[in-house]
Amino acid sequence: MRQIHLTVNNEKYQVYCPEHITLLTLLREHLHLTGTKEGCAAGECGACTVIFNGKAANACMVLAPEANGAVVETIEGEAKDGVLSPLQQSFIEHHALQCGFCTPGMIMSARALLDANPAPTRDEIKEAMEGNLCRCTGYEPIITAIEQAAGGERGA
Amino acid sequence: MYQFLSPKTIGEAKEHLAEKSNLKVLAGGTDLIIGLRDGAVHCDYIMDIKHIPELCEIGMTDDGLEVGAGVSLNAMLASGLCTGRYAALADSGHELANSLLRNRATLAGNICHASPGGDMLAPVLVLDAWVETLTPNGGRKIPLKDFFTGVKRHVLAADEMVVKTVFPRGDGTSAYHKKKRIRGHDLAQVGVAGSYAADGTLKLAFGAAGPTPVLIELGVFDPLALRAAREEILDKAMSGISPISDVRASKEHRLAMARYLAGDVLDALLEKVGV
Repeated sequence: MRQIHLTVNNEKYQVYCPEHITLLTLLREHLHLTGTKEGCAAGECGACTVIFNGKAANACMVLAPEANGAVVETIEGEAKDGVLSPLQQSFIEHHALQCGFCTPGMIMSARALLDANPAPTRDEIKEAMEGNLCRCTGYEPIITAIEQAAGGERGA
Repeated sequence: MYQFLSPKTIGEAKEHLAEKSNLKVLAGGTDLIIGLRDGAVHCDYIMDIKHIPELCEIGMTDDGLEVGAGVSLNAMLASGLCTGRYAALADSGHELANSLLRNRATLAGNICHASPGGDMLAPVLVLDAWVETLTPNGGRKIPLKDFFTGVKRHVLAADEMVVKTVFPRGDGTSAYHKKKRIRGHDLAQVGVAGSYAADGTLKLAFGAAGPTPVLIELGVFDPLALRAAREEILDKAMSGISPISDVRASKEHRLAMARYLAGDVLDALLEKVGV
């Protein structure tokens, strides 16, 4: 067992967990933050995307001990005081989700992009989202939702 | 199960290499973690090298472009240094997996995984790169043309790790083109890198076209001679590769695509030098 200190969605946590688990398991089973989904658990689908020290990453591709001292953002931190973020609202308005399983990962990849680049081109959005797979909606509404949210967040 | 080590200095890492057996080095982890999950990798220690500051640096030195073993591919791409002579690194960096994985994956990790289809391997060969290593007794410099020995095999000793990859200075240009099954992220069916130095030295390298990446040194050409000798050059390059059939492509398809991509790379190099 290993003691891990980390900050998730601006809250500090101290966790005792096995050394061999991933950040995904730590979030879901030890911190009970189940908004982050497990899809392939092999870095292929992006369902488990979180923002890890400022960069979008697959939580299944990070070992829990690597998260010691890390700052992590998950989907649970996106809405504030029960109010959806403009990005979340834009996904709803543009029908960018259907079953919703991939959506937390999609939102976190998009959040990392918009934090780093508030006015991305459509091609930059496609590159940032290329690791997030959706099997029901199709990608155009997702790209449009992010494009429109970017405009809204910067007041365009 | 393994014990997780997180050295903060090169000295600490060196001590771990000396004292701990059956140790795996963790850089980006995008191959290692899958191996651990699948039970294909067993080790007693995992040593995360990303808290060693020197290993997380990228920059130009007297030797050339130096990329620390802990630098993510996206950090390398964002450095603005993968241009001119090093342009193939930008081409291949953008082709490797997807942006999420590139936030974690590293150049040194791709080299040390030594998969014949690794997107960064053909570029490092045509750019005459070497790796510098750390061992309990010091370290050494290994030209990457002497590094790969087989599928996922290389010359590193069990107690040796890569600390940086160095690309020598030089004028000229380079490119990397890749054939894959889908438009999204996928492993290469074939990847071809080319470099054309200012003195006319031409090199091509092929990925996923043999058990190791293959470097073909083609000689010195002025741009017009290169254009005229295009088919001859391709014949020579093709004679050096030996692809197999597997889940991603047949041998015949790989041979056809290797020639097509090599021609494409030659054309791209000529276009870059204005011919």
